[in-house]
Parts: sequence; C-alpha cells; structure tokens
Amino acid sequence: MAVIGAILWAQWKSIRLLRFGASKRGALFSTITSLLWYGFWAVAAAGLAGFAADPSLQQDVELLFPAVLIFVIVYWQLAPILMASLGASLDLKKLLAYPIPTSNLFWVEVMLRVTTGIEMILMLTGAAIGLIRSPAFGGWARAPRIIAPLVVFIVFNLLMAAGVRGVVERLLGRKHLREIFVLVVVMLGALPQLLFVTGVPKGTMQRLISPDSSVLWPWIAGSRIPLHGSTLSPWLVLFGWTLLAYYFGRWQFESNLRFDSQAAQATTYTAAALGEDSWRTRLFRLPSAFLPDPVAAIVEKELRTLSRTPRFRLVFIMGFTFGLVVWLPLILGSRPDRPSATIDNFLTLVCLYALALLGQVTYWNSFGFDRSAAQAYFVWPSPISRALVGKNLAAGIFVMLEILAVTTACFLLRMQPSPYKLLEAYLVTPVVAIYLFAAGNLSSVHMPRPLTPERAAQGGAAGRSQAFMLFVYPVAILPVGLAYGARYAFDSELAFYAILAFAAALGALVYWLSLESAVAAAERRREQIITELSRSEGPVATE
Amino acid sequence: MDSLSPAISVRDLRKQYGNKAAVDGLSLTVPRGCFFGFLGPNGAGKSTTIRMLTGLIPPTSGSIELLGMPLPDQALEIKKRIGLVPDESLLFDRLTGGEFLEFVGRMYGLPRQVARERSRELLELFELHESGRKLIAEYSKGMRKRVAMAASLIHHPDLFLMDEPFEGVDAVGARLMKDILLDQVRRGATIFLTSHVLEVVERLCDRVAIINDGKIVTEGTLAELRAGSETLEDVFVRVVGAERAFERLEWL
Repeated sequence: MAVIGAILWAQWKSIRLLRFGASKRGALFSTITSLLWYGFWAVAAAGLAGFAADPSLQQDVELLFPAVLIFVIVYWQLAPILMASLGASLDLKKLLAYPIPTSNLFWVEVMLRVTTGIEMILMLTGAAIGLIRSPAFGGWARAPRIIAPLVVFIVFNLLMAAGVRGVVERLLGRKHLREIFVLVVVMLGALPQLLFVTGVPKGTMQRLISPDSSVLWPWIAGSRIPLHGSTLSPWLVLFGWTLLAYYFGRWQFESNLRFDSQAAQATTYTAAALGEDSWRTRLFRLPSAFLPDPVAAIVEKELRTLSRTPRFRLVFIMGFTFGLVVWLPLILGSRPDRPSATIDNFLTLVCLYALALLGQVTYWNSFGFDRSAAQAYFVWPSPISRALVGKNLAAGIFVMLEILAVTTACFLLRMQPSPYKLLEAYLVTPVVAIYLFAAGNLSSVHMPRPLTPERAAQGGAAGRSQAFMLFVYPVAILPVGLAYGARYAFDSELAFYAILAFAAALGALVYWLSLESAVAAAERRREQIITELSRSEGPVATE
Repeated sequence: MDSLSPAISVRDLRKQYGNKAAVDGLSLTVPRGCFFGFLGPNGAGKSTTIRMLTGLIPPTSGSIELLGMPLPDQALEIKKRIGLVPDESLLFDRLTGGEFLEFVGRMYGLPRQVARERSRELLELFELHESGRKLIAEYSKGMRKRVAMAASLIHHPDLFLMDEPFEGVDAVGARLMKDILLDQVRRGATIFLTSHVLEVVERLCDRVAIINDGKIVTEGTLAELRAGSETLEDVFVRVVGAERAFERLEWL
C-alpha cells in the first residue's frame, strides 16, 4: 500500500504543478469540459435510473438490461482504442528501476482503468439506483443483491481493460504491426453500425442480448442476479469471467513488463532508403525545389519527422479509414429515391473529418513533437514566423495527401465521386484548412504541449485547447457553410464558387493577422513556451 | 559593430524567478579569442546565464552585448554568429544525424549544397558517419553531444556558447572535441563554456569565472585564481564554501 500511495502522491504532485502552477485558465477550461462530458453521462445515468425504477416498464427493463451490460463492456474495452486515447497508465520505464513488487504495480494499473470507464460506472450506478427504487425488482431490502453483482461486473471490466490495454500497447509499440492493427480496429469499430444499417444478422444480435440467452455470457449472468434473485449459476459464471479477466490482465501486464519497446521501434532504414538518390529522399526534397530556405528546410524537416512519427502515422491512417467507415454505412443504408446532403457531399465530409483529425498532430500544437528542441527556433537567426509558415505548409501537404488517400479509397470502394465533387472537396478542404491553421498558430504559441512521438495513443489536447477547438471548428467551417447556403438558396454553382473564393480571400487575411499575432505572442512568451514543451510527466502517463 | 569590442559584455544581469534570483547582478567581460570557463555548483545560475546570452529567456534587468552588438536589439545578427551547445538538447529526434546537420546549416542560411557537403564532413570528423543514418532518437548521450557540437560548427561562428559539452562523451570523443575547440580559438573564435569537469577547464581555458547563488564569486586567469599549489578544484571548493555535510550523518 505504501508503494501505491507513493506513486499516487508523486502523480498528484506532477498534476498539481501542471494544472495549477502553469495555467489556472487551463485548469478552469479543463474542469468545464469535464463537467460537460460527465454531466452528459450523469444525465444519461439519471434517465436510466428513471427507466429502471418505473414498475410499468418491468418487462422492458428485463429485456434491455443485458443490452445495457453489453454496451458497458463494449464501451469500456473498445472506446479508448477507437479514440486512440488509452487513458492514464503507469510509466513502467520510470517505475521499473525501483524495487516494487509486480503485483502492486498491477493493481495500480487496474485501478487506473477507471479513467477510461467513469462514464460506464455512472451508467451502472444509475441502473442500480433505478432497480433499488423499483418495487418490481425488490426495493431497498434487496439492495445488496442488486449492487454486489454490478460491483463484480465493474471489477471484471477493470481487469479485462487492463489486459486489453496491455495487448493494444504492445501492438502499437511495434512498427508496421500497429498500422495494420489500427486498420483492423477501425473496421471492427464500424462493424456494429454496418450490421445495423444493412440489417443482415439482426436475429443473431437479438438472440445474443435476449434475457433468455445462455447464462454463460457475462452480461446475461450479470443481469439475472439483480433482476431475478441470487442463484448459484450466474454467480459462478460472473466470478469465472472475473477470474479469467484477472489471468488475462495479469498475463498481459507481465508481458508488457518484459516488452522492449525501444527494440520494437528501432529503425531499420537501409542505406539505400536514406541515400541521396532514394525515392524517399527525393520526395522529401521536393518542396525545396519551389521554396526558399529557411521555410523549405523546415518543410523538409517536418515531412521527414512527421512521417517517422508513430503517433502521426496512426492519425494519418485513421483520417482516410475511420472517416470513410463512419460515413460509409449512411451511404449503404441510403435509398436512391431520397436525395441527401450527406450523401451528396460524402467526399468533402470525409476530407473535412480527416482535416480535423490531423489537427492534433500538426496544426493545433505545431511544436508538440519538437518538445524542448523547439527552443532552437528561438536560437537560430530566422524569425519564428518562418517556422510557423513552414510547419503550416508541411501540414498542408499532408492534408492534400490525406484527401488523395480518401479519394483513392473511395474509388477502390467503387464509390466514384463525380469530377465536380472531386473539385469541390479539393477546394473546400484547403479553404477550411486556412482558417484552422490560423487558429492553430495561435494555439501553438498560447497552449503548447509536449507530445511523445513514440506513444501512438497519446491523448488529444489539454482541456483549454479542447475548449478552444470546440469554439474554432464551427467558426472555421462557417465561411464555407455560407457558400453551401448560397448554393442551396440560389440553386447556383456560380454563387457557391463566388462565396468560396471570398471565403478563401478572407481566410488568407485571417491567416496573415493571426500569424502576426502568434509571432508577437511567441516572442513575448518564449520562456513559457520552452518551459511547457520541456515538461515531463509523473509516474502515471496520461494518454 | 566593433571588432575590438569584447566577445561578451554583461552588465548587472538579473533573472528573478518568484522571490529567488537565479542570476543576481552578474557583470562579466570576455575578450575576443578567449577560451572562457564558467564554473559553479549545481543551481548556481550557469545555464540560466547561457540561456539569457542566447536570447532564449529575457533577463529581468541588465544589459547584454555579444560581439559588440546589443541583445535583443540585434538578435538576428548575433544569432547568425553564435554556435550553441545547450544543456537541454536542441536536437530533433526524428531526423538522422546527417539530416539534422544539413537542416541546421540551412537554418543558418548556408546554400543547400554547402550545408549538405559540410554535414557530411562534420559527420566524418565527429566519427558519426556510420551512425549518420540512425535517427537521433537512437543515439547515446555522448553521440547526441557530438552531433550537437558538430551542428554548432557548421556555420563557422565567431562565438561559441557551450553548456556542459563534454557530458557523457567518451575519452576519444572528448579529446577530439577539445582539439577542435582549441583550433577554433586559434583561428580567433571565442568560447564560453560551462563544465563540471575541472581538469578539462584547467587544460583548456585562459580565463575562469566561478558563479555561486547567481553572483560571480571570483574571476581571473588560472594563474591569478590559484594561490600557491592549489588546484582549480581546491579553488572551486574554497570559493563556493562547500562543507563536508555528510560527516554529520551518522547512519551514512
């Protein structure tokens, strides 16, 4: 316990300095966004409690309770992977140097899995309160019978999540394998939606969540005890699953302890690949043919470093796979006789989604991957504006490559967009990008945050930048939205392209103004920027 | 700009963090062509001073002139003529050593072909050519220092600001680096260096200043600092007032 206490104390000290020492505004925004997010889940939990407490809905509750438990499992185990944010975890590289028993570390790791499942704990609490309040399911006298299996169910999920995290972390730590893994996960993530839209195995799904299904499933066992009273078999099943989850979690945790991430990520670049005449080198040098130094040098450096950064590659792949998968079911489920704006603008929507996704690893936090090396931009005899422009140009190149990848994927899936729609996507996305880059330059100097290139699943932005993004995205899309509005109102392509051209010109002006402002802020805040980017984490790494 | 002005001229430099002065009224003059050692115990204010000299952090008060030009008024001009080896690395981990050196050369305004050529030569000089195709992220600490020093040389600067350049470097690498630095001084460059390895300072430096608690406690040539048969280590321990505190801990 002393060791666990010491780890948590060190983490608290690290977080305290990070949150309250450096930026009170950041802490405030972080609190507000957390309140909004968990407030939403608290409301959902209250709704669930009301639903479960209503005696007139007893049959519905019995029917739907296993589905709620399935949802809890799927969310707890899959959502962190799909969001490429695995929650807080022990930084084993730092902790392994100390004589801490493995079991202690394991239980801290299990407790940290709460960080990716607070929403589900809220939902289960809501369900438990509802069942206790319902006269149909026993009232307060049967509270222990209702609460106990749900607590075991939570422990099962925590242990399972620890194991899943271990597997995911190792897969993401292996070069090339991680990219394949992400593709598979993305496809799996889309499967339920795809099945729902296409409706193929509806019967199978219903059988799986039916209360009459086999008690051997953990969600069936977990729902039978609170709904129908204690019998031995569901308890045995629930404990059995929990024991299995324990062995799985422990096995994966210990495998992680033995895993040499450095060896797994070691580069195997051949001399030919990095030679002056290799196609890769020629590709990286291409922008230098059109741009002067130092901007060209920065663009080239960004192209090289980002393409070698696991975190970036992961997001880039997600941009053209996850985006397609999210929208694809809508296309497949659509009816040809019913026109739809989503289907008409499918390609543009996926491109804009990819642009938003790339933000975290490119324009929102331009100096994030440079970490403390970002101080070089203040030491070299070149204005910081060149660094920002160079980074934006590199981001722009990746955005164009992303659009190209989306287009190729669309053609491969035989969803051939018309030449007009192609042109539209290739014009609309860069216009929105100009606005986002303008805002990104400001956030890069006002809210810099160090990112670990090797950590493929590091979480997104801190609270303050998240709030800033929530504000900026709608504003950035607004000028383009006006162009679409004009097309709809006047039924005219000319009106659309005229307003789009105006939006582009306005964007250029906004970009120039924001660059000036960002440069002034960078000069003023250079000490804070370097300090923020040089910061390291505590024993628990937040992802 | 005056070619006879000192390489570094600092007057009443202060850097305040909250109620603690990391650098407290520091005044210093380093003549051109001098190999200057800047010593002090941990936390004395050495790195903060170098960071102010490079313009990375603004001083709370005081003035800085480098190569006869005031900072920050002529910051860009000054930066063009400075070679820097910092305590925290300025290295971009996802570039190879060769790519990094070429990148730095271009940032200092060298033509691309020249930057490429020099980076190749520097990799060979610092015996990094065999590792030149590894990412810097995979370099050892000593290799990182070597590539940082190579980067500081690529634009042929007049003034070097070096924070612990020999830290983690093996004996062969250190010997090579010392020879290169002495050669730079012979051609007229000025070197301002901090190091905890006093033997290195004793062998290389013409002048030495010792800083403690943000203030210069002594300054002069090595001969001036050493009274009688004292070594630099004796002088250092004497002026920073180190005590044998461990003798009070009976359990140790």
